[in-house]
Amino acid sequence: METVGYDDVVRMIRAAAAKIHANEKLLSSLDAATGDGDHGTTICKVMDAAVAAASEQAGSISEMLDRVGWEVMCVDGGSAPPLLGSFFTGMAQGATDGGLDLAAAFQGGVKAMREHSQAQIGDKTMMDAVLPAVAACSGDSPSAALRAAADAATRGAEATKNMTAKFGRARNLGDRTIGHQDPGATSVAFMFQGFAEAINERK
Amino acid sequence: MPMKKFINDPKNLTKELLEGYALAYSDKVKLVSEKLVVRAQPKDSNKVGLVTLGGAGHEPALSGFVGQGMLDISVVGDIFAAPAGPKVFEALKLANRPAGVLFVVLNHAGDVMASNIAMQMAKKAGLNVKMILTHEDIAPGANAPATDKRGLVGCIPLYKVAGAAAEQGRSLDEVFAVAEKYNNNMATLAVALKTATHPSSGQSIFDLADDEMEVGMGQHGEAGTGRSKMKTADETADIMLTQLLEAVKAKKGDKVFVMINGAGGTTLMEQYIIMRRVGQILEQKGITLARARVGEFLTVQEMAGFQMHVAKVDDELVKLLDTPCNTPYWGES
Repeated sequence: METVGYDDVVRMIRAAAAKIHANEKLLSSLDAATGDGDHGTTICKVMDAAVAAASEQAGSISEMLDRVGWEVMCVDGGSAPPLLGSFFTGMAQGATDGGLDLAAAFQGGVKAMREHSQAQIGDKTMMDAVLPAVAACSGDSPSAALRAAADAATRGAEATKNMTAKFGRARNLGDRTIGHQDPGATSVAFMFQGFAEAINERK
Repeated sequence: MPMKKFINDPKNLTKELLEGYALAYSDKVKLVSEKLVVRAQPKDSNKVGLVTLGGAGHEPALSGFVGQGMLDISVVGDIFAAPAGPKVFEALKLANRPAGVLFVVLNHAGDVMASNIAMQMAKKAGLNVKMILTHEDIAPGANAPATDKRGLVGCIPLYKVAGAAAEQGRSLDEVFAVAEKYNNNMATLAVALKTATHPSSGQSIFDLADDEMEVGMGQHGEAGTGRSKMKTADETADIMLTQLLEAVKAKKGDKVFVMINGAGGTTLMEQYIIMRRVGQILEQKGITLARARVGEFLTVQEMAGFQMHVAKVDDELVKLLDTPCNTPYWGES
């Protein structure tokens, strides 16, 4: 079991936010190709809400993740807030007496996202990064598991470049989306890279 | 080219436009909790409430139809983006009443997610809410699955008939049935001529050559099915109306309600010329034009083009369309 503690989870969320903030312009420009061009702004608002909620002392990891998910869902901005909010809320499923079981947490996150999205791998959505990351999240240590998850998310996001969008607003552009990397999947890749860096630093 | 719009900080667009709107129509609507447009004089709590949601940037939709006889609350998101689920729940809670609430949602991914979150919370809180999803865009084909069909301007006449039924004191089930009847008998098709500039990002929302038009374009620049060289008003109306009448299965002897909804950059002159042709075709086919509306109801900034909306109506729906209401943008009945 790849278990991390309360403070680790807070650091993971902070590092994910920092990673996404550093790439805000890139994310908006990816979105401009197939959407409104505001994904970078929205995802930064989402991560700011997550950091604020995680920074407030909670009684348990599960309570904290629940609050993070709730505050993320409260962000105005189309589909990203409900999807990522559900992911964080669902991560509470991985909470154990000894901390957060990462594999179980991410699986719980995907399960919660499934209430809002039926997108599969190949549909050119954030699921193209989420699903491989969750599947890859195992290893000898939390840091190895997160590294594997981040690498898988990054590859998944890169693969969206050659896909045709089948969900959300971009779907309506059909083949015109080929050649553009999905901004949502890219954000998720940055999020997992942030998670991995936070736990690596501890070693 | 820099964006040429009268705005201030792009971050404050929704807030500032809603403040101005509420000020202009303070006898009919007021602004609550920043993003909720509510009726200035609340409806009696023994009458069913009506709530809807949607992104800003489509003015006067959707908040232009809040008022006596139509909507009780419109929850407004940022430009072209759904409001957050918890905000929508706040509106449902505010509208909650013994008679219940009809919650009208347009089929767009973000709107549906926010609504599902709000409905889950409403269920937990024991609110009496029934949700109805509009999905009358026939661009993906009249028989495409409902999930593929977007909600366009048809939500507005649906607010009108459901709102009139609610004012009569009908039960939630009865108001829902009226809304469902309208929902099952309507179809809309859009056509675009010129793109619009997204007011936050300053970017063009789609590309279209100077001599081209696109039938089926969605209200956020979503691609349609029929990109072609520019056609005349009559040719365009013929193409669109044929598909719409087929979609609602209107035949000789039937009555229809028609809306020509300007997208923002198409003149009323053009809209009337389209309307004229619609009338001619209906007459040829022996279909009665029961009622009509021409003008800007749901816009996409300065995009040129329009949505043509057709609903097959019966006497009950015509009566409900005719019932006077008092909202800023439906107009006189």
